[in-house]
Amino acid sequence: MARSWRIAAAVLLASVAGGASAAGDEVNLFAWSEYVPQGVLDGFTAETGVRVNYETFSSGEEMMAKLLSGGSSYDVVQPPDYIAEALIQAGLLQELDFRRIPHLGNILPEFLHLPDDPMQKFTVPYMTGTVGIVVNTEAVREPIRGYRDLFQPRHKGRIVVLNDNREMITWALYTLGIPPNDLTAENIARAKPILADWLKLVRVFDSDSPKTSLLNGDVDLGIVWSGEAAILYRENPKFRYVLPAEGAHRFVDVLAIPARAEHVAAAHRFIDYVLRPEVSKKISDAFPYTNPNGAARRLLSAEQLANPASYPASSPRDTFRSAGKASELIDEVVTDLKNGR
Amino acid sequence: MQPLLPSTPTSGGSRRPTVRAWVLLAPMLAWLLFFAVLPLGILAAYSFCQRDDIGRIVFSFSAANYARVLDPGYLRILGRSLAYAGATTAICLVMGYPAAFFIARRDARLRGRLLLLVMIPFWTSFLIRTYAWVQILKGHGLLNAFLESARLISSPVEWLYTPTAVIIGLVYSFLPFMILPIYASAEKLDRDLLEAAADLGAGPLRVFSRVAIPLTWPGIAAGIVLVFVPATGMFAVTDLLGGAQVPLIGNVIQNQFLQARNWPFGAALGVVFTVLFALSYALVQRTPRWERSAPP
Repeated sequence: MARSWRIAAAVLLASVAGGASAAGDEVNLFAWSEYVPQGVLDGFTAETGVRVNYETFSSGEEMMAKLLSGGSSYDVVQPPDYIAEALIQAGLLQELDFRRIPHLGNILPEFLHLPDDPMQKFTVPYMTGTVGIVVNTEAVREPIRGYRDLFQPRHKGRIVVLNDNREMITWALYTLGIPPNDLTAENIARAKPILADWLKLVRVFDSDSPKTSLLNGDVDLGIVWSGEAAILYRENPKFRYVLPAEGAHRFVDVLAIPARAEHVAAAHRFIDYVLRPEVSKKISDAFPYTNPNGAARRLLSAEQLANPASYPASSPRDTFRSAGKASELIDEVVTDLKNGR
Repeated sequence: MQPLLPSTPTSGGSRRPTVRAWVLLAPMLAWLLFFAVLPLGILAAYSFCQRDDIGRIVFSFSAANYARVLDPGYLRILGRSLAYAGATTAICLVMGYPAAFFIARRDARLRGRLLLLVMIPFWTSFLIRTYAWVQILKGHGLLNAFLESARLISSPVEWLYTPTAVIIGLVYSFLPFMILPIYASAEKLDRDLLEAAADLGAGPLRVFSRVAIPLTWPGIAAGIVLVFVPATGMFAVTDLLGGAQVPLIGNVIQNQFLQARNWPFGAALGVVFTVLFALSYALVQRTPRWERSAPP
């Protein structure tokens, strides 16, 4: 999910080259960048003869914008939970035929029937994770337990955060004790002055690859996706992952089939393929998020399961809900704050 | 007046385009219609619409988007973008003019090779080259290592994620767009004219300002437009080298289309932006002072 520009360029080329294939033997996948290993796509093609065109996005909002524009036809999309909820409400996803997805049984019960798709009719969990704090413990000696410890004036210029407006507002809301989905104008207004102080301390805003500035040593603290934190920990255990004391949320990225998909049968085959334990394990090897696939988890090494960013001792239960009209206000507030730095 | 685009000869006066001319022009006109006029028309139409809860376009007329563009916050962003682009253009001009002039004065073989050097960076993707700058400018990167080993600095300087890094990235990206048009003008510049001016008593500065600059003005003007316009709208360099700390107008427009899903507002920003550039283009196109004062 480390959302990357380079990949987008490569994929653009690949999708141009792939435009000429006959219908019926391909599936158009629209997914996060750096989230689906090429080996998985190749394995699916080798087994079924169905070619996969992998087009990427770098935020759930971007994914929805492109799906709404109707410019391209996608067969499998990979929205985060709260975007999936909005898509379901707008009638943009189709009900899945679960007789064709027998491997759904591999998914752990705690990741099914979540608020975005309570009847589990439209989506299948792909990977899940949290958003938390990474600390370079060689550079920062004091304990960092949450957002308040992180955003201290003495850490000015040493912080990277996700360049994601909804995330930023959420951190401030948690600090105020407000649940992340109470996105009223009043609550956002209360979060604004807190965020105003915080954003002045930030050196880098990066959703694509926040690990880069931490690895380069340009910053020592960050609020990042747990998968990025897991890769950092794998590189060097000095990078510790902390779930903020004030509150943290988890995200569940799902697979779904748009209402207007053209290759519905191939899309179902692809989704079921991804749910196989050995395939799902390959995804965890490359991108160490929290795997919701119980059968796949049994195949992971002890070392993988011991990575505290991938498998924290206790996982938060909060998930984002569709923001609706509030997303506009959130964008306005954050743009305003960054503008006033 | 020296237009940026080669003007059609008008010496024939009343000559009217023939059928053949229209046929020859047809591909260009079709291209302009489909890839310039039509998209701009859609943009203009969207800019008066509204969005629904999840971001689909609702076709109900509203000028609210334009009122929001005039919000002081967005005007400040626009001002900042123009400042970045202006600084980039000025640096590109100061660096690019001597380089272009120098290349144009070499013999044909060397000229070809030097021009190739200017264009080689285009063989690699722009984003990959920008990532390379991250490696150069980072705290323990090449630049600081070099400066430290040369004993010019004692501790690493913070280059990356600063406005300086953004300007470096922008100048690096757009310098060739300044050099190439100026080169094209300078190459055609008749050396005898410079010598004649010197023989008639003009000092080097005067030769440069009264002869060289006016005669290469079309190249300078084209270079300014080619650098200034894309530099104002650029968002990738600000994100990657500037750490996305302060928004520029390109970031704001991109945000409206991909993050906030407010296409109508993004379209309104785009339209204002386009109009501003049409105006600045007209300004650059205007007859420079030295030509207006010259006898017809």
